[in-house]
Amino acid sequence: MAQKLTGLKIRARRKELGLTQADLARHAGISAPYLNLIEGNRRPVGAALLKRISAELNVDVAQLDGGAERRLVQALEELAADPRFADPNSTRGNAEDLVGRHPGWSELILGLFRAYEDQRQAVLALADRLNHDPFLGENVHQMLTNATSLSSAAEILAGGSLSEKEQRRFGAIVQSDVARLSATARALLGFFDSAEMRVRSATPSEHVDAFILQENNHFPTLEALAKDYLQAPSRDGFRDVSPMTDAPDDTPETQRFALAKRTARRIGSEAVGEIVHGHSALPSEDSRRLAEAAIYSYLAGAILMPYEPFLEAAERHRYDIDALCRRFGVSYEQAAHRLATLRRPGAEGVQLAFMRSDVSGHVTKRLPLPGLPLPRYTTACSLWAIYSAFQTPGITVRQYGELPSGDRFLFFARAVDKMPARIGYPRKLLSVMMACPANEVGRVVYGDGLDLEKAAVSIGTVCRLCRREDCGYRQEEQLIAGPALSDKRRMSDANHS
Amino acid sequence: MSSNRILVVEDEPNIVESLRFILERVNYDVESVSNGLTALEQMRKQAFSAVVLDIMLPGMNGLDVLRTMREDSRLSKLPVIVLTAKGQAQDRKAAEETGANAFITKPYSNAEVVKQVEKFARR
Repeated sequence: MAQKLTGLKIRARRKELGLTQADLARHAGISAPYLNLIEGNRRPVGAALLKRISAELNVDVAQLDGGAERRLVQALEELAADPRFADPNSTRGNAEDLVGRHPGWSELILGLFRAYEDQRQAVLALADRLNHDPFLGENVHQMLTNATSLSSAAEILAGGSLSEKEQRRFGAIVQSDVARLSATARALLGFFDSAEMRVRSATPSEHVDAFILQENNHFPTLEALAKDYLQAPSRDGFRDVSPMTDAPDDTPETQRFALAKRTARRIGSEAVGEIVHGHSALPSEDSRRLAEAAIYSYLAGAILMPYEPFLEAAERHRYDIDALCRRFGVSYEQAAHRLATLRRPGAEGVQLAFMRSDVSGHVTKRLPLPGLPLPRYTTACSLWAIYSAFQTPGITVRQYGELPSGDRFLFFARAVDKMPARIGYPRKLLSVMMACPANEVGRVVYGDGLDLEKAAVSIGTVCRLCRREDCGYRQEEQLIAGPALSDKRRMSDANHS
Repeated sequence: MSSNRILVVEDEPNIVESLRFILERVNYDVESVSNGLTALEQMRKQAFSAVVLDIMLPGMNGLDVLRTMREDSRLSKLPVIVLTAKGQAQDRKAAEETGANAFITKPYSNAEVVKQVEKFARR
């Protein structure tokens, strides 16, 4: 590639200087046809000759040997491979030509892409914050608190019959509340000024994500369907079918799930179609197809782990996922995901968030809880159990964490193998994390033995939105400055004690 | 348990100061704390005639404090006036179900706070 670029660079520089091929060839001590072959990338150019040519063209050898361009080509190829853009096949192999012939335009394209990507990250991070992050809630709460204090102090002042000292005291309170109210309002104004707010879900998988959230990950018609199926006297139950032979490497749990999914497809097509078609969160055929696949898996889960017995067992075993795996013959991830669907009004299980990530931090499934935002576009706080679980695959790790908002949650996570081990390949691990609010900790086995007053670890949500200033795990700068609410309160307590 | 003492559980110092002033003016003694755990400690140490309790507290929130109180035979009858910036019906319902005697939405009028304290406090 370097040689190819070198030829093009020589030609570009020669033309820039207004030299003919014959001129340059003569000065470099080669024939004009040979130079023509070099410039056309049909002959390699040796180091000594390149040195002579670069001297004639009055440039550094480094400028001709293509190192910088190689980096440009790699960057453009990476850009072209981005699934958000056109078919990568349409641009395959063209990056070298583009860089060789039009380095300025290539830089411009990359510059535009970087600017676009920066803007996109900012918009997505702010969208995450708008949707889930406690920033707005905190600030609105702060404004209401200041307004309360202000109105109460103003009432006292207006009531009269105050000593001079009292007048000064409440006058000072009014002034300090006005200052704080203004500061909060300015912070909010800056927040709204800093980015475009309307962000649409762009990809089919993002549509499905929105669809599942909108339905609160609970589908009553599918639950009823699974129940009817299991109670029907004539059912040809998946338990009677031999393990599938077309996936002999899969674990028995995966094979059972595949069989249950096959049953789900057979009995559920009408119900699934009714749920998916016309759903406002699923505007495209691709998104509906993906959503169908997701809720067939849901139905398969409901067949293998029927709602009432599963809820009863979950309560009895205090949400011990391993105990549920043994009882229902399912995998850790299947049981964990099913726990997050126990949201039937009037018969709810413990409120559980669910998040699944691969080793690179790509979030592949998420179900947040009120007060516990789970990032959609970026990696979460690196202190979260979902990442430490990768350090001990197969073993559940737990963490009692306090978010910057002051809300506390119990997290428990385990990294599980997603495919059989293969020589020469890394293990394919996914980390499955669940979380419950502090007031539910006593109901789950994972909270046993924790001293809730001492065990809380300060964690964040995502770096760019986290306001903990002294965090040694920070990877990115925060978008909006200011201490976390929980830290602020700690400081305030320290000042008043 | 009867006394003139009111416990204010609120983490915003300016609000505490105003509440202290308006309640002292109608002859209550006011004790204040800024978090839920200290509040429970104080309630177990001293007799209060009522508690004015903010919901949004650091760490243990006001509803958890209230729940703990209602499960503790010594505190289960102590009147609690809840203050909150969240004024939606479900927030009011949650507070009432947990055992709040009164529910006041911020910003409030001082007269309303005094009225509710007078109504429930056991002098």
